[in-house]
Amino acid sequence: MIKNTNSLNVNIVTVRDGKEKIVAFTYNKREEKEKPMALDVLMQAQSEVIPDLAFRYGCRARNCGVCTIDINDRPRVACRARVKDGDKLSAIATLPVLSDLVVRRDGIARQMRGLKTSAQGNDLNVDAPEVYHDLTSCIECYACLDKCPMHMRNFADKLPKYNDKNLPNASEGYIHGNPFSLLKLERLRNDPLTSGQGKNIALNKAIDLGLDACIECPGCKCGVGIDLKNKVIKPLLEAAKDKL
Amino acid sequence: MTIETEWLSYDVIVVGSGGAGAQAASAAAELGASVLLVSKDPLGASDTKISEGLATVRESGSDDDIEEVLSENIKLAGGDLPIKKLTDTFSKYSKEAYDKYREHGLRPSINKAKNRPQSLPLAMGGHNRNRSVGHENHGVAFGHANWDAIIKEKNIDYLEDAWFLDLVVDRNNKSTNPVIIGGLIYDASKGVLLAINSPSVIIASGGLSTLFFPKTDTMRGNTGDSYAIALRAGADLVDMEQLQFLPFCLASPPSYEGLLAGEPSTASYLGVLRDKNGKIILNGVHLRTRAACSEAIMRAVEDGRGSPNGGAFLDMTANKELPKSGPYFMKYLQDSLPTAYINARQALGKEAAKVEVAWEVRPGAHYMMGGIRVNDDGASVGGDDEGSVKHGISGLFAAGQAMGGLFGANRLGSTSLTELAVFGSRAGVAAAKNSLNNSFKVNKKLFESYINEYSSLFGQKGSIASNILRDDIQKESWKKIGPVRTAKGIQEMEDKIKEIETKLNNISIPNYFIWNQAFMDFVELKNMICSAKLIGLAAKERNGSIGGHVRLDAKNISIFSRPYSTVVHKNNYTYLVKKLNRTRTPLKNLIYYKILEKKRLLEARFLSMLPKNIKDKKLEKKYKDIMSASGKAPEIMPGGTEGAIGETTSA
Repeated sequence: MIKNTNSLNVNIVTVRDGKEKIVAFTYNKREEKEKPMALDVLMQAQSEVIPDLAFRYGCRARNCGVCTIDINDRPRVACRARVKDGDKLSAIATLPVLSDLVVRRDGIARQMRGLKTSAQGNDLNVDAPEVYHDLTSCIECYACLDKCPMHMRNFADKLPKYNDKNLPNASEGYIHGNPFSLLKLERLRNDPLTSGQGKNIALNKAIDLGLDACIECPGCKCGVGIDLKNKVIKPLLEAAKDKL
Repeated sequence: MTIETEWLSYDVIVVGSGGAGAQAASAAAELGASVLLVSKDPLGASDTKISEGLATVRESGSDDDIEEVLSENIKLAGGDLPIKKLTDTFSKYSKEAYDKYREHGLRPSINKAKNRPQSLPLAMGGHNRNRSVGHENHGVAFGHANWDAIIKEKNIDYLEDAWFLDLVVDRNNKSTNPVIIGGLIYDASKGVLLAINSPSVIIASGGLSTLFFPKTDTMRGNTGDSYAIALRAGADLVDMEQLQFLPFCLASPPSYEGLLAGEPSTASYLGVLRDKNGKIILNGVHLRTRAACSEAIMRAVEDGRGSPNGGAFLDMTANKELPKSGPYFMKYLQDSLPTAYINARQALGKEAAKVEVAWEVRPGAHYMMGGIRVNDDGASVGGDDEGSVKHGISGLFAAGQAMGGLFGANRLGSTSLTELAVFGSRAGVAAAKNSLNNSFKVNKKLFESYINEYSSLFGQKGSIASNILRDDIQKESWKKIGPVRTAKGIQEMEDKIKEIETKLNNISIPNYFIWNQAFMDFVELKNMICSAKLIGLAAKERNGSIGGHVRLDAKNISIFSRPYSTVVHKNNYTYLVKKLNRTRTPLKNLIYYKILEKKRLLEARFLSMLPKNIKDKKLEKKYKDIMSASGKAPEIMPGGTEGAIGETTSA
């Protein structure tokens, strides 16, 4: 077979009505030397082959965090992930699929609903430590859910399957946590305006979400390079060591 | 099978979860209102999150930054079109609104000596005082603050993956203006329609840049929903021809198409624009307005002298070649707009990153200045002059890019994030009061026609897909009602829209309810069509160039002529367009502004004519002057006036 250098063959996994289908798609390069991103491939597939192909995207510049998909079963931000011949594009495996490459995300944020940590003092003019800003660089892409044992507790230690009738109700927020939620809590603990009592509330929330799962876990990987192990997990485990 | 409808009641509905929506919901909830916040994209994933993260905070950099100074600064930047009451309100509440973000976790650097947020060292973005506060992690830091504001309030219920379809309005009482009684939502994650009884709705669902391709990194969700929803409810829309295009966006490779490469000021002292034959089509680029740069590029394209991808070449090599000042230029290029430089380096390669070759650039759609016509509470207004709520839609509010009238024809840098906080929280308070202080009668019957209209779309048979028409309208909009316009082009766009409208009932929409992509695409396409009509009608009415509206076939509108705004409104099936006069800034301030402009252009001309070695020395000194002690050039704001010194209005 002659290899056509002006095109790329990829497999796109679609999910409709609980049925999974692998669609072989040939991407036609728009420029001779083009090295397309996964998002370019999905957009062309939608324009040319699957008009109602469902996928999320936002800024195309790795800032908004909504276009995360799995490429060959590993989470990647689609707008800045180059695609090779033979790659498989599918929804991230760690959240339930709504359609094609779109997963339902709100079960994560909802687990923090109503969490109010009390503030100390009334002077807003206080500098935050560097680690506070390190944690604030999180774009909420949810790549960190990959292989997270705490998060998988939500789905009986497995990955959520699209046709599973017993998925937990995302509308009420997942019971068990994940690196993103822990990052949000550790960020609160590093905020100079959070009171001592507020810091306790944040720590207890981390324990409630299942911080004990982190003790044996080799660690999680951030989609934008935040050192989750040393800046989120270790300090939380250290602060909670008498409570776990 | 028909999609099911569920009924709910709230005091306030907020549409959108970006900066404006988060601040509005938070302010309304604090007053005790029950709030439903609806967002089609994930929570907080908005233009706020992808912004440069600079906010205007009055008195953050100088003690003499009184309210009048900032207010007039905004008004003049907007070509004198902004409504004074709105610029005054912005100016008065900028500090307290900014503090709302801080209450939700935004942490700027602090100026210890003055006990206030640290402003950037220079008066930038066209500001006449230092008052722009920068933040680590740029807009992402604001994204976290907005997320936190929404999540921590127990009386804010939020829905993501939910499309707000239409406002439900009661027009039956002839003695009052139309009154909001709720809204209809498509909840894609549950696969149901939600009919919400509510006396107050705040539209904070962003702009319309997705109507165009190419566009900058602004969010995909900017499909003009804000304007289309308000128009269908009968609201007035103001200054809809005023859309900001950034002239120097990338034209290739395709993955980077439209992303920002630089601003006019990026070209620095010796940068020029060239056509495909190498001929200079614009010199003194750093002093030009964005509109002038876009115009030069688009005139070359129309003439058949455009670059391979339909743009022109931004040639900055002359800056780099000078032995002494060249290295300073490179530092300036890398530091002043870091994200744009990274885009250009990744997209155009090493030679371009070293400025050994010219960059291919093309304008991209960025920010909407126009929008829903409101008062200083963000409440919908109608009628003459500044308008009154008596003639608006009762119970309708807007904030953020959704609202118009504050920025007129152009805006200062770093103002958009502050605007969200000022008008978002004011709209939240006003909406909560409207709901809590007035009696409200549920009227389910008025929802029927809306429910029927939308539920009958599921299962619509046809042979066309919405997104094919969407691609079509994006390309045509860019050409006809985009960075440059002509009467002929505007008319052709009108014809194009009519043609697309005839195809709407031939769009195929399958009959399933959970995440029905075809249904959402259809809803967004209709909103884009509506927005394109609004821009076309306003652009036709304004027969001359001003700010973001560039007419190739008509003259420039002088800042000395009487300023006016355009207003578009829909009455049943007819669109009505009118002009509204605006108050003028005192003549002596306008003259002073003009003199400064002439002076800058003369200086630039003098500099370019000097012998090479003297030029080199002079430029070396200039670069040293703008760079701080650390040797770092100050960041500038895309969309701000500093990015285009030709738009500076310091008076």
